[in-house]
Amino acid sequence: MKIKSLLIANRGEIAVRIDATAKRMGIKTFGIKTQKESNAYYLRVVDEIVDFTDTVEELPEFLDIERIIAAVKSHNIQAIHPGYGFLAESPYFAKRCEEENIIFIGPSASAIYKMGNKTIAKQIATKHKVPLLQGSIGNVKNPQEAIVIADKIGYPVILKAAAGGGGRGMRIVEKASQMEKMFKMATSEAEKAFNDPSVFIEKYVRNPRHIEFQVFGDKFGNFIHLGERECSIQRKHQKLIEESPSSALNDKLRKEMGEAAIRIAQAVDYYSAGTVEFLLDADKNFYFMEMNTRIQVEHPVTEMVTDTDLIELQIRVAQNEKLPLKQKDVQLNGWAIECRINAEDVQGGFSPSIGTIQKIVYPRSKNIRIDTGVIDMSVVTPYYDSMVAKLIVHAETREKALLACVNALKKFWVKGIKTTIPFCIQVLNHKKFKKGDFNTSFIEKEMDQIFHQEEEYEMLAAYVAAFDFAAELENERTTFVNFEQGKNISPWVLNKRIRSI
Amino acid sequence: MKFYKKKKQTTNEYIAVSPKDKKYKILNPFGEEVTVNGKKTDIKIFESEEGFTYIVYKNKKYLVEITDKNQNKYTVMINGVSYSFTVESPISYLRKKYLAKHQTKNKVEMVIAPMPGKIIDLLVEENAEIKVGEPVLILEAMKMQNEISSHVGGKVKKIHVKQNDSVAKDDVLIEIEQ
Repeated sequence: MKIKSLLIANRGEIAVRIDATAKRMGIKTFGIKTQKESNAYYLRVVDEIVDFTDTVEELPEFLDIERIIAAVKSHNIQAIHPGYGFLAESPYFAKRCEEENIIFIGPSASAIYKMGNKTIAKQIATKHKVPLLQGSIGNVKNPQEAIVIADKIGYPVILKAAAGGGGRGMRIVEKASQMEKMFKMATSEAEKAFNDPSVFIEKYVRNPRHIEFQVFGDKFGNFIHLGERECSIQRKHQKLIEESPSSALNDKLRKEMGEAAIRIAQAVDYYSAGTVEFLLDADKNFYFMEMNTRIQVEHPVTEMVTDTDLIELQIRVAQNEKLPLKQKDVQLNGWAIECRINAEDVQGGFSPSIGTIQKIVYPRSKNIRIDTGVIDMSVVTPYYDSMVAKLIVHAETREKALLACVNALKKFWVKGIKTTIPFCIQVLNHKKFKKGDFNTSFIEKEMDQIFHQEEEYEMLAAYVAAFDFAAELENERTTFVNFEQGKNISPWVLNKRIRSI
Repeated sequence: MKFYKKKKQTTNEYIAVSPKDKKYKILNPFGEEVTVNGKKTDIKIFESEEGFTYIVYKNKKYLVEITDKNQNKYTVMINGVSYSFTVESPISYLRKKYLAKHQTKNKVEMVIAPMPGKIIDLLVEENAEIKVGEPVLILEAMKMQNEISSHVGGKVKKIHVKQNDSVAKDDVLIEIEQ
């Protein structure tokens, strides 16, 4: 049974990414049009649009299970790909799809449920001899209970949303006096992001590396892993730069961790793409963190080094095909790095930079891949996350990949919003990062300067300001009336006008 | 791609002052040869076919964007990094310096919303003394809770928002008396 039509229940770059593979496989694609982003780029690439703009429901469009299912039924669509975030890890959504005979491109509802419930996931890890961190058994009800547990396992501890992921609803607590405030923040963030305020508590490992394994299973009990991804460059638990492989692993450790990841997947009869996240401490001990039962943002680095298309594999597994690869077929070739280009003002503490992308041009080369959700005049809204594109660079060695990545970032031009590009350049140029010597506290501990700037930048900026100011003065002197109300006229336009008077 | 030939020679001098009081004296911004702090430079401004503005300086390209301007206050981005300046003429610069010297210190600073969002929690009360960098409230935007901290120390004079208020970018949140 081949899938012939697919609803992409997501937006942004991942919707565009899924569409590309689906089209190549001859699948008709559908995208969801929302009022918040009715002009988004992904709507131009999909074959057909499912219009959700007529009514505005309380619930965000991409979380509205019944509305999505009704749309799939009325458009006669066979399958749904949830992407990442939104409903990707909702066991209820996967179950509703099963009930309605819609192919959900992802694992079974039961696997999502078991791995999504951190308590069950931990029990499974323990049972299958995968190392874990100490923590609460189940959720913590209030700050008082959290303090009792924290006293037992020792500070620092971390509060995490039970239904969590993506860094939301997580707070590190250094001492008992912070617990009340942090508990409040973690639960309210969890409630907002996942509709579930429950949090659990865990021993916090200082300065670990974040290493995750891409696993894959089919519906016939076959499992492989596709190596690891190093995601230690994080800010507030949000990944910013990822790579594959990791400079922290050797073949032996890779095999050991990969096998542990597969044991977890096997335990829940997993199929489709999944990611098993581990913390690696300074002594190279690894601890199971969680399993993400979805395609991840950073999946392209794995695709680059393993020469696979994970979305294609997901679709093939969903239509009951066997995995075309065996573990021995999986080779890691070269090195891949991904930089997340977020609409954020790094100088302003990574605050969202909302507005219109007036122009965007990407670096081009055969070893560069750009996954993007925007084009010229795309609007970055406050409704969704801030990621606008991903730059992925592949080379033979890590050293070459880093260099090529910096060069690519310098040719990645955006006008209208601020992005994380100056941050990414700064990381890639950092001595310790280049040496592969870093962990999740890299940004706080090692970066005195969090964005790349060169000595002459300020002088050049001063010149531009003076140039524009002088042009404006000249403008006034020649009593030129500006009918366009001035604000965004570029100095060169003014300059031209001055000359034309 | 076009190079905008610079206009007639003028002898205009401008002073761009950074928030840290760093001064750039720019002579002849439209001239063939621009002088910055007494040194002749080869800065040229271009506009690319795609609509980007960039500078070529010492054979290197720099992406340029004026992101904000309000009278003589500018924010200019070079390769994605923002710099703020106040541009003065030599006379207005002298006047500003004179005024600064003779002004009394007691001034009120505003903490403004760096982005649109919702106020999740207020962390200070009116009349509280706060330090530079101390978080004053939590603003939720893009599904993230952001701690907004004060860029100045002083006494909280007035709080303009309450919990669950939605705010727009640049709304005044809190007034702080230094």
